[in-house]
Amino acid sequence: MRIFMLLSLAILVLVGTMIHRNVLGSRLLRSDPDAIPANASLRQFALEGGQSTFKARCVSCHGGDGHGDTQHGIPDLTDDDWLYGEGSVSDIERIVLHGIRSNDPKAWNLARMPAFGRDHTGALDGGFPALTPQQINDVIEYLFSLQGRSFDQTAAVRGEQVYKVTGGCYDCHSEDGRGNTAIGAPNLVDSITLYGDGGRQSLFDSIAYGRGGVCPAWDGKLTPLSIRKVAVYVFSLSHAAPESPAR
Amino acid sequence: MSNWRDLNAVNTHRSLILLAMGAVLGLALAGYALFTARGTSTLFVPAEDVALVNQQPISRSDYLAQLQTLFGVDGAHATREQRQQVLNDMIREELFVQRGKELDVASTDPEVRAAMVNAVEQEIAADAITVQPSEAALESYYNAHVDQYSGEGLMTVHDYKFSKDEPDQARMAAAALKSGLSADALAALHGQESHDVGDEQFYFAAKIHLGAALFEVAKNLDDGAVSAPIPLPDGLHVLFMTKNIHPARRSFARARDQVLNDFRKDAISHMRLGDEAFLRKRANVLIADDLR
Repeated sequence: MRIFMLLSLAILVLVGTMIHRNVLGSRLLRSDPDAIPANASLRQFALEGGQSTFKARCVSCHGGDGHGDTQHGIPDLTDDDWLYGEGSVSDIERIVLHGIRSNDPKAWNLARMPAFGRDHTGALDGGFPALTPQQINDVIEYLFSLQGRSFDQTAAVRGEQVYKVTGGCYDCHSEDGRGNTAIGAPNLVDSITLYGDGGRQSLFDSIAYGRGGVCPAWDGKLTPLSIRKVAVYVFSLSHAAPESPAR
Repeated sequence: MSNWRDLNAVNTHRSLILLAMGAVLGLALAGYALFTARGTSTLFVPAEDVALVNQQPISRSDYLAQLQTLFGVDGAHATREQRQQVLNDMIREELFVQRGKELDVASTDPEVRAAMVNAVEQEIAADAITVQPSEAALESYYNAHVDQYSGEGLMTVHDYKFSKDEPDQARMAAAALKSGLSADALAALHGQESHDVGDEQFYFAAKIHLGAALFEVAKNLDDGAVSAPIPLPDGLHVLFMTKNIHPARRSFARARDQVLNDFRKDAISHMRLGDEAFLRKRANVLIADDLR
């Protein structure tokens, strides 16, 4: 008799767990994504699955700890600097769903860094003129001046003209160089660098040869629940859990 | 009750209980599958969707994105009217898309056809870039296409033009430049310096400014070298190379970004060709006699 009772109990627990997880999954999907981090039970449920999805799908680029790799232009997911959007769960979820320059029609496809040191009279780069090596070096000195690093004053004055007039850099990176998260244009004033060490050589390479990193779209390849969970997990890498979570 | 555990003995109660447990478990699994499986006809809207239109889901993420686009608000802060409007718009769109399929508009509307072709190509490309190539694969690709990964050469060259009627002046200027003649002194020899070059330029820009013929000569000049007079339709040209940095191969580390992009482009091309070959293989294509 006992064995049947235990078996019945085990089945009930199994079914109950399935129902509970299904209910939690439904709640997670129906919740406002940006409200999830403040809800302890949903947050915990999302983090459990999100971490495993991250390890299976994202670590090959972003690394196990999410710190990225500036040698390869992979952004650090643990800081508070966001290229696209403001780093909310919904912003992250959109990137996981549709990617960046991923060929998904709903991806962030608006801009790529033109190659100013290449002959690019085609339409791809928006008709910007090529720059001379001196102009590129002048822009770098101007950027160094904005970052508060040591720079060549005369070259920086010329570089400002290139930045704001000739090269049209302001068009994406904004007049003050602080970038534009609506199109993924990086902030050039802060100390965070997406590519390389932020030195003159890596900046020269970025300006002369262009950049255009890619993040794949996972819509249709992962379930909506997995995508929501991994978005919450990525959010958690840069945001500590609230001290008084709502339930 | 004592023979419940004796599996060799027939026990009606045990059979009934096991039967009931099996039925409950079966029903639970069937119910779970019914309410959650995609593609099945259901009266319940899956949690990841906001509506089903003839069983076709309207995704919650698209709905939220539409709310953000139209009204600049998220789902939690949208008014009931805003939510209703977006939902109605999306249902209307889905109904018209379904009607479009029924009417087979793709067979008549070239824009729909082009959009469908483009969408399928994009889908293939999106699949192709989901796979992250290994560093070894990228390095191997780099080694196989290493000529593509040279940096632009740089040159600072001066171009002096002389009249075709004064070849001696041009020769004298070339000789004088080799011996360190100043620009002012060169002017006395009636040489006109082109202002399109003279600053440091990338090779491609120098080629545009000098023209192909002069560039071919210039790129082979070493630092401080002077060319012989070069006859062109507009006169005789003498080139004085101040600095010439030939295109250097970029290391894998420096070119990796470009290598990855090129690798993906090739992967996309291969996948598109593969898909097209598959579609052609499974298709029944009949071609008119006169076009065979």
